[in-house]
Amino acid sequence: MSETTPTNKPQWAMVIDLDRCTGCEACVVACNVENNVATVGAEEAAKGRTINWIRIERYFEGEYPDVRVKFRPVMCQHCEEAPCEPVCPVYATYHTDEGLNAQVYNRCVGTRYCANNCPYTVRSFNFFDHVWDAPLQKAWNPEVSVRSRGVMEKCTFCVQRIKAGEAKAKDENRDVKDGDVTPACVQTCPTKAMYFGNIADPTSEVAKLSKSSRATKLLEDLGTKPKVIYLNEGE
Amino acid sequence: MKRGLKIFLLVGVAILIAVWLAWRAASQPVAPDQPIAYNHWQHISKPDGPQLDCDFCHEYADKSAHATIPNITTCMGCHEAVKTDSPEVQKLAAYAQRQEQPKWVRVYFFDPEADVFFSHKPHVKANIACTDCHGNVPQLQKMRREVKHTMGWCIECHRQRKVSIDCYVCHR
Ligand code: SF4
Repeated sequence: MSETTPTNKPQWAMVIDLDRCTGCEACVVACNVENNVATVGAEEAAKGRTINWIRIERYFEGEYPDVRVKFRPVMCQHCEEAPCEPVCPVYATYHTDEGLNAQVYNRCVGTRYCANNCPYTVRSFNFFDHVWDAPLQKAWNPEVSVRSRGVMEKCTFCVQRIKAGEAKAKDENRDVKDGDVTPACVQTCPTKAMYFGNIADPTSEVAKLSKSSRATKLLEDLGTKPKVIYLNEGE
Repeated sequence: MKRGLKIFLLVGVAILIAVWLAWRAASQPVAPDQPIAYNHWQHISKPDGPQLDCDFCHEYADKSAHATIPNITTCMGCHEAVKTDSPEVQKLAAYAQRQEQPKWVRVYFFDPEADVFFSHKPHVKANIACTDCHGNVPQLQKMRREVKHTMGWCIECHRQRKVSIDCYVCHR
């Protein structure tokens, strides 16, 4: 929870237009595949041991037959004042100078303090070493670690894609721009409900959308300063 | 009492010897036997040799994450005609005949549990010499691991060159 130091590094942020989200969960599937997220099976899921980097929350409004369902994709909010960071005794979760809330798997000792302190409950713990039914392990993304038992994990904003995008921009001797980095969920969303980019660049799409009158942040009054901005439904 | 002391001393000495042997084995450079006894010195440094550059064979070092080991068609480009009387080159020719790649044993690698995502490209682009990280390979008759790639060793260089030491640079 260090003071944000001024930096010329990109500050990654996401905008989600709730007017567009249909709750199809394609983003959830894309995330699981991109990031080697394990499925734990029905038995463990019943004990609350599922692993999810992104989930779709459902809200029902009104009485039958006049019901309206609202959907809200929720992933790690990459808070600037992240409550998970100061409670980690081994600095396994910390803030990068690019505004990401990072999780270092081989530093994590599995105290689970961070998950307890996360108001968005977006952190998942690996209660055991997961088994991928053959031949699914052949579909592992080689750019992402396969987490082992005893470590915490959560959305990274697809840091492997961020690093690849930054490397490409460096090769071409320019700053990162919109389109260089597209996390798996954003890429997959069929209704284009999600946007991702460098919010420090005022010309980027996320910077423009974040100024919308519809823009809100989840549990903003906690003072966590989330980096995910939701655009509320219009009237 | 006296006997107890004797046994204690004997066991102590045995443990010390075992530790010393283990330490000596661990500090020995790793030099696995390869399917063909390839000689780096002969190809790079030998005065009347071909004097190849590293990237003649490891041609993707400046283009991708992996430096890559060449396909044996690269070897056969010369060895179709050169030194065909050497038994090692004959082994190579036999591989080529069978259209099979030798199963080279990796010398430098990261433990998969380290979750390290290293890329050669940015390092080559930053003009780090191959020998800085791989030791004096041009003088080696048999390839061996001379440099220990520990995290502290990486960080030290990153600090000196004032490049990022953020965890996400390597671990993700
Ligand atoms: S893929 Fe898009 S529309 Fe579907 S649930 Fe995710 S955000 Fe909503």
